Amino acid sequence: MSEFDAPERVVVIDDDYAMRLSCGKILAKMGLPAEIFEDGARGLAAVAAAKPAMVIVDLKMPGISGMEVISRVHEIDSQIIIVVITGYATIDTAVQAMKCGAYDFLPKPFSPDELRLIVNRGLERRRLALESQRHEVEQTLLKRRFVTFVSHQLRTPLVAIHQYLDVLKHLDQTADDPLRRQEWLDRCLTRIDELQNLIADWLTLARVEGGTLIRERVKVDLNRIISEILKTYRETAAAESVSLEDRLPGECLFVCGDRNCLSVLFDNLITNAVKYNKAGGKVTVSGARSHGEVVISVTDTGIGIPEKCRPFLFDEFFRVQDDGAKKTAGTGLGLHISKRIVSEMGGTIEVASEPGAGSTFSVHLPAWREPDRDAGSQNDAEQEAITDGR
Amino acid sequence: MSAKVLLIDDDSDFRAAVKSLLESHGYLVLEASSGHEGLRMVAERKPDVIFLDVMMETTVEGYGVTHSLRYRDEYAEFRNIPIFMISSIEEGPDERFPMSAEVEMIRPDRYLTKPLDIPKLLQLLEKAVGTAKGAMA
Repeated sequence: MSEFDAPERVVVIDDDYAMRLSCGKILAKMGLPAEIFEDGARGLAAVAAAKPAMVIVDLKMPGISGMEVISRVHEIDSQIIIVVITGYATIDTAVQAMKCGAYDFLPKPFSPDELRLIVNRGLERRRLALESQRHEVEQTLLKRRFVTFVSHQLRTPLVAIHQYLDVLKHLDQTADDPLRRQEWLDRCLTRIDELQNLIADWLTLARVEGGTLIRERVKVDLNRIISEILKTYRETAAAESVSLEDRLPGECLFVCGDRNCLSVLFDNLITNAVKYNKAGGKVTVSGARSHGEVVISVTDTGIGIPEKCRPFLFDEFFRVQDDGAKKTAGTGLGLHISKRIVSEMGGTIEVASEPGAGSTFSVHLPAWREPDRDAGSQNDAEQEAITDGR
Repeated sequence: MSAKVLLIDDDSDFRAAVKSLLESHGYLVLEASSGHEGLRMVAERKPDVIFLDVMMETTVEGYGVTHSLRYRDEYAEFRNIPIFMISSIEEGPDERFPMSAEVEMIRPDRYLTKPLDIPKLLQLLEKAVGTAKGAMA
């Protein structure tokens, strides 16, 4: 049973018999189990044993004083709400009690309603404090899990490499097998590449999050950027028996953005479209201008994305795990980074997919708008950057 | 007859290395790449020892397998197969689930950190197989 389900117990400590009895009765009517005690020593023993939600204590008692009870209760559990009752309701004593950690005070005589009000308020305050504490614990746990996950991702390739080399050394003592050695060394190199990619993606992500990835906002022709990427991928795609089709329009597709980021974005989408394709498959890239936007679509004829996976597709480290999917190397960061880049540039990215038939990723970016003639020299400088660059 | 070792791990490179190592020492090695496949292999092939990775599709998949093997009725006859849990994470079950009263239910026979130390591994395995065979006799 959690702290939230347990009934909230109240301990009343007052040397005045009638007072503690009537407090107990009112609390019982509120549905709160109350224990009543006539002095501080007995009351504190009960507090230590039962850890109540609230302690109501008379300030002026023989033996241990009310002030001392307050600090001793908080030594037991700082979350316990303390309400003090005082017959000598001077501002001084009340302030002193609050300074010692009391939540509020009730001057004698008080009505049952006044007691109920203060008790309810105090308990509500405790619930809120506990809830926020629980939230904090959850956040810490979440962070720790994330660190565990990342360190696992980084260690996995290293472990595989280490184990290969270690076993190779061990086996070479007994039976030398050059073919196996060759194969394993190749695998080690592949795993090192995988680690390099992960670190590179990780750094890109850190830059996106630090807001330092986007260095410029200039007029960029997506047609040119994407055509260049397609050119560099022809060979890789051909090796996988995937054909690339450039269906971009003849005109320029100008947006406002960072050339490097836009390259990373479309590089990611085109890599995925090739990687998650089938032998003999096709990747088609098309583009259009509509309603002040430039829309670029990357369509593949690959394995598709199961519907249940789509809501998480752009989350960091999410990877589609499906029995039908071949094991493909990847860091689980590419689409997350792509989405971050698109939203940094004021655009959106969406996916449509049919499992077994393929997927289409569409990027919508605000089209470049020619600045007003009188907008000043800054825009001229930007224009220059475009003519100079690439 | 050589002892059967079941290797449950989603990293095929890690499995390939350990499999070759164990085979060179006369063990028969069975492989599974997920918790599900591992449980099926246990039922079908009844291994003498199980090597079990912790983080596969989910971050605690290995613990789910341990729990199934120790407490689910359909695996009752496999309850005593020694389980060696292996992970690159140095946090064992006690550090991983500090608040859980049920940690006893998922504690493996051994918790080993990857990469595996070869001499230590071979020694542990020999001992475990010896005990398992002895118990069967």
